[in-house]
Amino acid sequence: MQLDTAILIGLLFGVGIYLIQQRSFARILFGFLILSNAANLFVLSMSGRPDGKRSPIVDQYTQPSVDPLPQALILTAIVIGFGVAAYVVFLLYRLFLEQKSANAHDLFNQVEEEEGTE
Amino acid sequence: MNWIILPFLLPLVTGLACLAAGVRTPIRRGLGVVSAAAQLAIAIYWVARCSGGAIYTLNIGAWTAPLGIVVVIDLLAALMLLLSAITGLAAISYGIFETEPGKEHPLRIPLLQFLVAGINLSFTTGDLFNLFVAFEIMLIASYGLMTLEASGRSIKHAYPYLAINFVGSALFLCGAGLAYRLFGTLNFADIAMRAKQMPDDPLVYLLALLFLIVTATKAGIFPLYYWLPKSYPIMPAPVAALYSGMLTKVGVYVMLRLFCTVFPHDLTSLHTTIAWLAGATMIFGVLGAISRSTIRGILSFHILSQIGFMVLAIGFFTDLAITACILYIVHHIVVKASLFLVGGTARHLNGTDKLDDMGGLWKVTPVLGIVFLLQAMSLAGIPPLSGFWGKYLIVVTGMELQQYWLVAASIIASILTLFSMLKIWLSAFWAPEPREGVRTHVRGWKAMTGVPAAMAITSLVIGLGVPLFFGLAQTAAKSAKDQEAYARAVFSFEGKGERIVP
Repeated sequence: MQLDTAILIGLLFGVGIYLIQQRSFARILFGFLILSNAANLFVLSMSGRPDGKRSPIVDQYTQPSVDPLPQALILTAIVIGFGVAAYVVFLLYRLFLEQKSANAHDLFNQVEEEEGTE
Repeated sequence: MNWIILPFLLPLVTGLACLAAGVRTPIRRGLGVVSAAAQLAIAIYWVARCSGGAIYTLNIGAWTAPLGIVVVIDLLAALMLLLSAITGLAAISYGIFETEPGKEHPLRIPLLQFLVAGINLSFTTGDLFNLFVAFEIMLIASYGLMTLEASGRSIKHAYPYLAINFVGSALFLCGAGLAYRLFGTLNFADIAMRAKQMPDDPLVYLLALLFLIVTATKAGIFPLYYWLPKSYPIMPAPVAALYSGMLTKVGVYVMLRLFCTVFPHDLTSLHTTIAWLAGATMIFGVLGAISRSTIRGILSFHILSQIGFMVLAIGFFTDLAITACILYIVHHIVVKASLFLVGGTARHLNGTDKLDDMGGLWKVTPVLGIVFLLQAMSLAGIPPLSGFWGKYLIVVTGMELQQYWLVAASIIASILTLFSMLKIWLSAFWAPEPREGVRTHVRGWKAMTGVPAAMAITSLVIGLGVPLFFGLAQTAAKSAKDQEAYARAVFSFEGKGERIVP
């Protein structure tokens, strides 16, 4: 049982989701970053309790090592998350440039009209 | 040269080559069209090869399953590859007729190719984590493509799409981690075999539920569809056609693959949940469509109600229902993409796609009118057009299972679909010409009409040649549901350390 890790992951998910629902772009961005790291931590915790195990580097097999696969998975996920985060920064910045506002509430509460003309 | 990896590799390499071509539009377009045509040929080759129900696998880097990444093509995947090749070719050629060479964004064709590469990889992968990577390739390309040519005011509608998919990806990653913890493997076939040995484990239910949410986000199932009708109308017509045809269907395909090939078949309470969510999706989608007043808005909401039909079939989960689902996907992708292209052409001719300001198109271009009418009637499910057969089979299955409320919902959705298609027909084609007249001087509109016309012929062929396509769908459904055959195909690959099927 990894209660401490589980609580930390739950906390991170909660904080991430809370921040995504905020109005300021900066908070939304941090929300996304925390959320993707919470997911990464969740996958990492799937390799089981690391107590008394050595890191998975091939040398002498004297003591059992932790499962290396979740680490390999989150390595990929971190890189992908980094790429997507870069895109989020770009999109939020472009929204800021177009709308002259860094407030999601202002952005989506404008009077909506369907755009039909070119 | 291994042909299994080609549907993924070819668009990827084409995309890179297009990037290298830089701003030289003719080279980029030439590469795009040639590659799309080659993808179509490869896809036809695979459908022909798999049509008997055979399954082909490739262990990447000769690492055998379950440790290595395995790429699998069965008939279902081959059919999806064929559809993605058709839509990709249509989107690229329509884009060439629509946009002047100087005005096309130099990144449009490369991003389209990367998007197709991601889509094709998610069809052919046999590994949960590789599926995650395929989704991310697809999503990152789609984020870029969506905002590439969007105008300043509408770009904000890309944000909900980005946000929901970001959360969806995080959940997918958690699901992959949980699956690894539960089964000690990420290979589809291996998970399927191991899940059988742990019946009634609540964690298997939890995992399936997690992936239901992930695929529902991708497919736009109630209540996770808010992003779709907002974000699709901001794209240019050919890109919107590709998105409407393929992207949501990737969600449906993965749901089909996971619930048929990977998860145990006795998750009945989840199947019931899926069916009722599908019913809600149908009704909300079609009601949303009625409230819209632009062609793109109406068509975007109709994607939802059609997704409802496919997912309803997955929820019923009989052999006939899965066959109906595949037949419906085949019909829907061709019809939906071509309707978006018809809408794009109509918008060019009228200078707007607000239904109130449109009109006079029937007099100017009866061909476009006939194409629209054929596809719209097919979408509503008028026999003998292609949309009828899938709907008919789904309704029959619903009656057999005595799910009368869901059958009623699907029939109501069909009638309301007919209603909003007639709304487009009456305002855009039948109404008198608007004061400014129809803009017949628009560049290349006749050639633009040719693309949806060719797709209309394709869907006519599907509708009239339904015995052939029904047979294909039946074989695809059978081989998708046969977990033992799938595992045998994945594990019997000749390579070092051959593994016996557990």
